[in-house]
Amino acid sequence: MSADFAAALLATDGRCPPGLTCWNGSAPEKRFAVYRNNVVVGLVDALADSFPVTQTLVGEDFFRAMAREFVRRTPPRSPVLALYGEGFAEFVEGFPPAAGLPYLADVARLELLRVRSFHAADARPVTQQHLDRLLADQAALPQARFALHPALFVLTSAHAVVSLWAAHQSESAALQLAGLDTTQAEAALVCRHQLEVGIYRIGPGAAGFITALQQDANLSAAAEQALTTDADVDLTATLGLLLQAGAIVGITHPRRTHP
Amino acid sequence: MNKALSAASLALAFGAAMGIAAAPVSAASHGGAMKAETEKCYGVAMKGKNDCKAGAGTSCAGTSKMDHQANAWSMVPKGTCEKTMSKTSPTGNGQLMEFKEKKA
Amino acid sequence: MIPRDTPARRATAARPRSLPARAGIGLKPEHFRAILQTRPDLGFVEIHAENYMVAGGPFHHWLTRIRERYPLSIHGVGLSIGGEDPLDETHLDRLAALLDRYQPESFSEHLAWSSHGGNFYNDLLPVAYDKTTLARVCEHIDRIQERLGRRMLLENPATYVEFAASTLSEAEFISEVVRRCDCGLLLDVNNVHVSCTNHGRDARDFLASLPLAAVGQIHLAGFASEVDSLGAPLLIDSHGAPVAEVVWALYRHALDRIGPTPTLIERDNDIPALPVLLAEAHHADRILEGLLPVVAESAVS
Repeated sequence: MSADFAAALLATDGRCPPGLTCWNGSAPEKRFAVYRNNVVVGLVDALADSFPVTQTLVGEDFFRAMAREFVRRTPPRSPVLALYGEGFAEFVEGFPPAAGLPYLADVARLELLRVRSFHAADARPVTQQHLDRLLADQAALPQARFALHPALFVLTSAHAVVSLWAAHQSESAALQLAGLDTTQAEAALVCRHQLEVGIYRIGPGAAGFITALQQDANLSAAAEQALTTDADVDLTATLGLLLQAGAIVGITHPRRTHP
Repeated sequence: MNKALSAASLALAFGAAMGIAAAPVSAASHGGAMKAETEKCYGVAMKGKNDCKAGAGTSCAGTSKMDHQANAWSMVPKGTCEKTMSKTSPTGNGQLMEFKEKKA
Repeated sequence: MIPRDTPARRATAARPRSLPARAGIGLKPEHFRAILQTRPDLGFVEIHAENYMVAGGPFHHWLTRIRERYPLSIHGVGLSIGGEDPLDETHLDRLAALLDRYQPESFSEHLAWSSHGGNFYNDLLPVAYDKTTLARVCEHIDRIQERLGRRMLLENPATYVEFAASTLSEAEFISEVVRRCDCGLLLDVNNVHVSCTNHGRDARDFLASLPLAAVGQIHLAGFASEVDSLGAPLLIDSHGAPVAEVVWALYRHALDRIGPTPTLIERDNDIPALPVLLAEAHHADRILEGLLPVVAESAVS
């Protein structure tokens, strides 16, 4: 019985499942439509909440029509809707009517990372004491490994994904859109410091460095990775950003380990 | 390049990074201090997505909230993306319209 | 406020506390800061369990602080108690962890389904009131109460259709579930009004046939009005408007029968500023305290 009901919820032909009755003999289709509308509109609303810039870029009508297609193909598999939207960027990427906006999928990827960062586990940044001790042991520094915050993500894009996102964060910023070269490759650092998710535009070398650290490379190997990606990478600035954002939450060291 | 990988230069970079981190968090400090350009933006508050309300029903006002059967496949994006498009760009409006015709 | 000695209260006596017989409001992220800054006089706050089933971040930060200051009700919307799928044990584990973390005074869920074939449909969908469904619902509630180690309250639904397969009335079905599972009843007075209007029943008769002794909490909310294909009223449980006068009247009628009961003002759509919700909660408090004269029933029905 639920199978018919469930199938009709996502159907596009306005049908309703068999076996429904109404006390006054009215058409069950109209009453059943309340459920269909709740389900589909509720899920589209959830996507609109998670992907606000994606929506603004294409307009509400287009976004909702596109999101409806996604909802019907990919209903949630979990009752926890906070992270609903995994796979949406990939869907957008292959959605022909959006093909004229090659950057759109990466904007959606960035927005999903923002949601994931918002809800990711908490972690305390390492203390100044830990950092001082690490710095004091200069010979061991290249072998040090950093545990990064669970709410930290790096996205590299062939498009100006951070600039596009940032241009939608305030009224005055919207003016930046006009002169924006969307084909400029950009990388984003997404991380949560205390209660706020920050999105930073970082260079390709910084992205390589942070990604290497995230994959448990030691400081020396991560630096090498960064320099291979971009010979002009500014490691001081990148490390400064990580420290300032509270993104380093653990240090493992050849000789001692800090939580 | 190799110089940057030595323990001494890593320590130098790390020490200087701690100096940067000690400064108050502000977009300006990144702009001034960092060669790797950064732009920091904070996202807005998130809503809870699970609730037990019913939505707009079947015929309420606010047509965009209705599950109407708009044909997504024949729609054209009409948002701020229009500001980013160059008419002469190969990825601009021109191509979009062309695609739409093919689809229809 | 003297707690009544109902079965619901006896069963929750093992918990640290029970909800006071006062008004509470649904806790929305929009109001996190305002609640902590203004510390309004509220009986309790209620959250939707699933919104807090995330690893960390601001939601837990704020809830932890607010929970230190207010009694808490956790209201699930995702267990799919009426579903044909087996109960989602992973979800039940998440729920148990959440209850363990926040130690709410009350836990409630819905007589509805929302998952099928592993998909989640994000709505409270109706069940047929027959023996098969009854057995399944009871099996699920038994398992939930066993896993959580506590008694739960089951909420009566707002529905828009009925099933030809139903052999029991909604009240008979709910009464039997409450009897077999020894669970409590979350009486959603708005749902009573919505469902009775949608199915041509008398709300007061319906109320009288519910197991009112098991009521542990009341929900009040606003509805939206539409019409069915014959022009008959079709009410939608929208939670997007103030509580209607007809629902306030039904609430007073219910309180006359069951006595003061913790009462939630629910608002999930078009969420107003905190003072607006507090005013509605205050209105419920005054009714609970017996300060408001009973409006002549003919004036509101």
